[in-house]
Amino acid sequence: MTVLHVLLGAGGVGKTTLAAGYGVALARAGGRVGLLGIDPSYRLQDALGIRLGDRAVPVPGAPGLSAALLVPGDALRRWSSEDVEDRAGQARLLANPFFLALSDRLASATDVLASVRVAEWAERDPTLTDLVVDTAPGLNALEFLRRPEQVEAFLTGRLVTALRWLAHIERKGSFSAVEAGARRMLAGLARIGGTRMLLDLAELLSLVQRPFEHLLARLGRARLWLEGDDARILLVTSARDEAAAATAIQTGAVLQDLGMGPWATIVNRALPSALGRELAAVGQEATTPEVAAEVRYARACATAQERVVAQVARLAPRLVVLGAGRGLDGEGRLEALAAIGEQLRVALA
Amino acid sequence: MRLPRILFVLGKGGVGRTTVSAALGLALAARGERVLVFEWTVADPIAPWFGLPPVGPQPAEVAPGLAVANYDLDEALRAYFVDHLRLRLFYRRIVHGRHVRRLIRAAPGIAEMLFLGQLWWLTTLAEREAGLRFDRIVVDAPATGHGASLLDLPATLSGMGAGGMLGLEIRRVVEMMSDPEWTGAMVVALPEELAIDETRELVPRVTERLRRAPIAALVNRSVTRWVAADGASGALLALGQRLSPEARGGLELLHEELSARARREGELRGLLSGATREGTISIDEQLAAMGLQSPGDVVRAVAQRLAALEPGSP
Repeated sequence: MTVLHVLLGAGGVGKTTLAAGYGVALARAGGRVGLLGIDPSYRLQDALGIRLGDRAVPVPGAPGLSAALLVPGDALRRWSSEDVEDRAGQARLLANPFFLALSDRLASATDVLASVRVAEWAERDPTLTDLVVDTAPGLNALEFLRRPEQVEAFLTGRLVTALRWLAHIERKGSFSAVEAGARRMLAGLARIGGTRMLLDLAELLSLVQRPFEHLLARLGRARLWLEGDDARILLVTSARDEAAAATAIQTGAVLQDLGMGPWATIVNRALPSALGRELAAVGQEATTPEVAAEVRYARACATAQERVVAQVARLAPRLVVLGAGRGLDGEGRLEALAAIGEQLRVALA
Repeated sequence: MRLPRILFVLGKGGVGRTTVSAALGLALAARGERVLVFEWTVADPIAPWFGLPPVGPQPAEVAPGLAVANYDLDEALRAYFVDHLRLRLFYRRIVHGRHVRRLIRAAPGIAEMLFLGQLWWLTTLAEREAGLRFDRIVVDAPATGHGASLLDLPATLSGMGAGGMLGLEIRRVVEMMSDPEWTGAMVVALPEELAIDETRELVPRVTERLRRAPIAALVNRSVTRWVAADGASGALLALGQRLSPEARGGLELLHEELSARARREGELRGLLSGATREGTISIDEQLAAMGLQSPGDVVRAVAQRLAALEPGSP
């Protein structure tokens, strides 16, 4: 069974870098690892220093690791070309306004499709040992965890049946077969968004019968996976960022409510704990305002870190404090990533 | 600086959008405006910075002249259908019904549309319909990917052939977003590698979608007032000689971090130069490091810095 690792946290705490590094480290330790970026800002490419797209590609220098981005348009077109056989249907689907909006315009489509993509990856590659997911910051990552259930509830509900009916009946010219309750809902929706929009939505749902069954099956599997023991939610925060710690605390509370409590909390970019203590003991010889500013900065960093660690220590059964590393610029980027990831892998093993 | 009635604060996750939004709100309130900071987040962090419990979807005052509200889809739906359209029965029977609610929860784009619709309402009819009057709304938008998608939404929805109430709402929101007196954007950036990459993509995207440049850029956590462009002074390395090897390692890291940040700040300024209407404002990292204890203190300090940059009053 593939282990799913989901990195969550506020923006700027180093989720993407950690996800990339963790993927590299798990692969080097012998795993067959997938790395998926579901943040619509596509930063995973910058972290790895390679171009990524909808289809997973091997990461150079990390045998066993392949990486991909969730690109909603590409994923949707691929799924529909795999599943919609007749060409007329394909053409109508690709021109459907809802399909177009979902494909290329709405960033929130990623929240819905991410879980489908996650389930698809594991389904197509049964030998995968680990799938590491880098999420969008803050609230939107929670949407990724919450959406499968919501989308499933809608897709299996009465309204979808009624809309499908509508698409079918629209061509036959009769409305009487639809039962009264459903008819009232459809009339209400037509009042809200107009008839044409409703018919476009109905058309979309009628065109995607087979992709739809696949989508539902994958949503269901993603939900079970996320709720089960093979999903590990890693709550990431930055050692010197108190706002990010506050976000981690709020996110942790929401996760507990969803029954998906975090598996570990990661305090990233920590300074050696001795620094705060020792800095407090030495006197300061400030020769210039600039020097004074640097020293004051170092003291503030050490103090902030102490507060952050105390605040997040109990959010999850495991607490990992990762030391700050050198930057990832230029040469040796992959080795630097691997070193960060290995710290995390060893701490979590 | 001339500001529109609705100011979107955009930027990568973690660059300090919320801090900047709250600080801007405070600075504008200090010159006598009634300001609302409109967030879209898990739990409001701003009110706790002022020693108050987190606010919900109803605007609540956190400081004189400054109110905060956290967007909530269910409340936005209720407000739209019940308070605004006075369709209580339709809301109860159709919109709030189990099946339509599922559609609303599942379909991407609906929450965003109602978010923009609320901004329209707050700047037009809210005073008459609900007694809410704000001179200015600062929107603490979601992080880049999702935040920039908000600006794309009116164009996306216009192409979907909506009629009915939604068709009207879309036309209203398109008008709102295209009027430079009504809406504008401010971009927050950080002198860090991934944040710079994201700013490089965000600024042209905002300019293209709004058909006008962002009003200004804010470089948060700037260090160039006290760190030279070619690197930190070496004071931390010298101080490290008096500490244990472990602690010294921490100071060496901070020395490198500050040096890298000063270099990247040059790169960031170059990239932002000429890309915004009013130019670039820096917020010094020392605001966070001068022994200020709480995020609320940081917000107040940033607000003072912003107020100093705003000549005149409305």
